[in-house]
Amino acid sequence: MSGSMTSDPRQPTRQALGRWLLLASLLLLGACGAKQVVVTGKYPQPLMSRQPLTLGVFYPDEFRGHEFFDEAKGRADSDWLVKTGDAQIRMWSTLFNGMFEQVIFLDEAPVGDTEVPEVDAVLIPRVDELQYAIPTHTNIKVYEIWMRYAFELNAPDGTSIAQWTMTAYGKTPTAFLQTDEAAVNLAAVVALRDAGAHFATLFPNVPDVANWLQSRNRTVAAGTTP
Amino acid sequence: MKTRRLTVGMLVAASALLGGCVTSTVDEMVFNAPTVESMEDASVVILGRRHASDYETEPDFISCIGDHIKRGNSEVEIIAELDFMNALYPWFEPRTAPLRPADIDRLLLQPPVADKLADLKTEYMIWIDGTTVQTNASGSMSCAVGPGGAGCFGFGTWGNDSNYEATIWDFTDKAEVGRVSTSTSGQSYMPAVVVPIPIIAPVKGTACDSLGDQLLQFLSSGY
Repeated sequence: MSGSMTSDPRQPTRQALGRWLLLASLLLLGACGAKQVVVTGKYPQPLMSRQPLTLGVFYPDEFRGHEFFDEAKGRADSDWLVKTGDAQIRMWSTLFNGMFEQVIFLDEAPVGDTEVPEVDAVLIPRVDELQYAIPTHTNIKVYEIWMRYAFELNAPDGTSIAQWTMTAYGKTPTAFLQTDEAAVNLAAVVALRDAGAHFATLFPNVPDVANWLQSRNRTVAAGTTP
Repeated sequence: MKTRRLTVGMLVAASALLGGCVTSTVDEMVFNAPTVESMEDASVVILGRRHASDYETEPDFISCIGDHIKRGNSEVEIIAELDFMNALYPWFEPRTAPLRPADIDRLLLQPPVADKLADLKTEYMIWIDGTTVQTNASGSMSCAVGPGGAGCFGFGTWGNDSNYEATIWDFTDKAEVGRVSTSTSGQSYMPAVVVPIPIIAPVKGTACDSLGDQLLQFLSSGY
C-alpha cells in the first residue's frame, strides 16, 4: 500500500497524458469515420375517409431493409449510411391502415397466376432512389432528403392495374448543437411524412387507379362481385 | 491564481450583462379587428410556412411565439404546431397545406377534417414565414490545448438578420384578417483572452418578442 503511495509521482501524470492523447486521437479519427443514421420517428394515422377496399400489401425485402450508402468524395467528407427500412415499414403500415377499410400484409410475394385470396388488390411499394444533401455540400443551411418511390397495384390474380412513381422531399434547418446525423434523421422523417401525404392525396387520382376505382364502384353498385 | 480566477469571473459576469446591440422594426396591417368576444372557448394555432427551397421557418421560433402569447394572456389557448399537424395529417404538411384562406373550404369538404377542426375549436390560424440568417462574420481566433492547460486568443464578430411575417386567418370567416412583420438585426462579438467571452445579440429572441407582442395585442383586442 505504502509502496504505491510513494512511487514515482510522475507516473499518474504520464498515464493521464496518455489517456488524453488516446481520447484526442479517437476524436480526430472519429471525424473521418462513416456517419450512420437509422431513421427513427413517429408517424400519425391519416385523417380521411377510408377507401372501401381490402388491400393486400407486400413489402419486398429491399424495401424492408432499405438503406442508402454514399461514399466520401474527399478527405474532408465522411461516408454516409442512411437506413430507412424500419421507418418505411412503420410509416407506410400506419398510412395504409388509416387509408383503407382493411389491409392484409402479405408475407410472401404474389407469384404468377396464383390468386391472392380475400383482397381487392395488391400494392407493392419500392424505393427507386434516395438522395441527400447537407450544408457542407450545398452551402445552404438546410439538410435535405429526396426519395423516389415506385408503386405497383395488381389485381388478386396478378394482372397489373396501375404502376406509378412518386417523389417525396424533406428538409430541416440547421440548429445549435444539432449533429449532422440528428438533422439527417429529422429530414428523413419529414420526407417520409411527405411521402405519406403525397400518396394519400395522389392515390385516387392516379389515372389507372381512378379508372379501376370507378369501374369497381359501378360493379359494386350493380350488385355483382368485382 | 486568485487574480486570474477573479478576472475570468468578472469577464463571464460582464458577458452575461452585456448583449450585442439589436434593432427591430415591426409593421402591422389589420384588415378586420377580432370579432370573438372571448378566447375562452376558442383556440389559436401557429404554423410555420415551409415552402421555400432555401430556408425553413424554424420550429423553435414557432414555439417561442406560442409561449410568448401564452405568457401574456393565459386565456388564449395555443395548439402546439406538431400536435396540430399530427391531428390533421396529411392536410397541413408543406405539400398539402392551404395557401389561401379560401382553401379551407376545400378541406372542410372532408367530414373527418371538418369534425376535427370543430373539436379543436380553431378560431385563428397564424402562418409564420421567415428565417434568421448570419449576414457577415469576421475576425479570427486560435485555440490551443497542451498538458499545462488550454486557451484561446483572438476576436470574432458576426451579424444576424431575422425577417418574419405572420399572416392571420380567421377560421370562421375564412378570411385573412391581418399581417404582422418584423425585421430584426444585430451584431454579436466574441473576444478571447484565454477564455472566449461571447457577447451575443439576441436577434431571434427579439424578433420572437416583437412578433409575439403584436399578435398578443391582436388576439386580446376583441375583449
